[in-house]
Amino acid sequence: MNRIHRTLAIAAATLGGAAAVVGARPMISPTQLAAEIDKQDDHISAVDLAELIMKSDQTLRIFDLRSKMEFDNFHIPGATLATLSRLANDSLPHDSTIVLYSTGGAHAAQAWVLLRMRGYRNVYFMREGVYEWMARVSWPRLAIDATSKEKIEFERAKVLSRFFGGTPMTDVPRTSIPQGYWTGAPNDGALDSAGAVEQTTKVIRRRGC
Amino acid sequence: MTAPLTETGALGPTGSLIMAPFIGLGFGWFLERGGLGNAPKLAAQFYLTDLRVFKVMFSALLTAMLGGFWLDRVGLLDLNLVALPETFVLPQAVGGVLFGAGFLVAGLCPGTTCVAAASGKLDGLGVIGGLLAGIVLFDGVFRWIGRFYESTPMGAVTLADITGISRGLAVSLVTTAALAGFAIAEHIERRRA
Repeated sequence: MNRIHRTLAIAAATLGGAAAVVGARPMISPTQLAAEIDKQDDHISAVDLAELIMKSDQTLRIFDLRSKMEFDNFHIPGATLATLSRLANDSLPHDSTIVLYSTGGAHAAQAWVLLRMRGYRNVYFMREGVYEWMARVSWPRLAIDATSKEKIEFERAKVLSRFFGGTPMTDVPRTSIPQGYWTGAPNDGALDSAGAVEQTTKVIRRRGC
Repeated sequence: MTAPLTETGALGPTGSLIMAPFIGLGFGWFLERGGLGNAPKLAAQFYLTDLRVFKVMFSALLTAMLGGFWLDRVGLLDLNLVALPETFVLPQAVGGVLFGAGFLVAGLCPGTTCVAAASGKLDGLGVIGGLLAGIVLFDGVFRWIGRFYESTPMGAVTLADITGISRGLAVSLVTTAALAGFAIAEHIERRRA
């Protein structure tokens, strides 16, 4: 072994040995996670998700974090039933666009943190969970006194709603549309009650969707 | 600036296209200078008389692994953004055997085939023809082998994921294995010389 080879071997051994001592950099820092949440890069709207499904985005993976019974009753097209422990261990292609949803937003938000910590980059959750899908895709509503901006958003949702077998509703009293329905994020439970979701599910199932 | 530049947006699609030929030419030049454009030399590793392919490939692997790990550690590279291919155990094992058999028969692997062809070697041009025919054949039979092609998936996993050890320890163990491999290769070559 000549001198250059010996020097390179010693350098490799030193760097390799030191790697075990210092350990790898954490996959993502808490500061970076906090910044993503602050910038609202952590979530996706039901309408945007519906568009991805309609376009047959091959990288899309949708995970439903509710119970099996709820999943069997209704789930977003293409979704897979998942648990937090499964998401903690299963491997997915790193270029996947992962969308998470649960009944509300809390469980999916926990899963979002877990997957981001595992190094997956394109992870999003629906803040209002399955309620949001029901309200904005299955049953989009347009107030009788809708603004022009609301009308534009509604037209977009209407196309998606029909694609997924929903029923767009127009001329709805303003009082039945939660504040921030089109423009922002309504609070948990503001989009629909659990009872209304069940009712909507039954209607969709009767149609065979 | 953090690498990979294409993923962080520092190098757009046009920049990537401009960089690609330089990286490709550099790769080919080093292969040629390493003597890997010569089929008899490559085939010699199967007879344990010249293990330069093993040494060159393991050197590249070790350099990339240590470089990737330490650049990531000091914040110059984000390994999360580096594409990690998926593992399909059985089809990749069969593919590996097929690749090895082709390597033994042709005396060249895909990269060195291009190097051999570029330096005007007829066997290199012949193997390139075989590569292209293989691609067309693969496309033709994919409908029958597609199921096998996607069988036994493990996802995009690393040694650390499979064994449960830390990434740092995995790097250390692979380094030890590589250095031991170099020592054994040198020993075998000396005995065969």
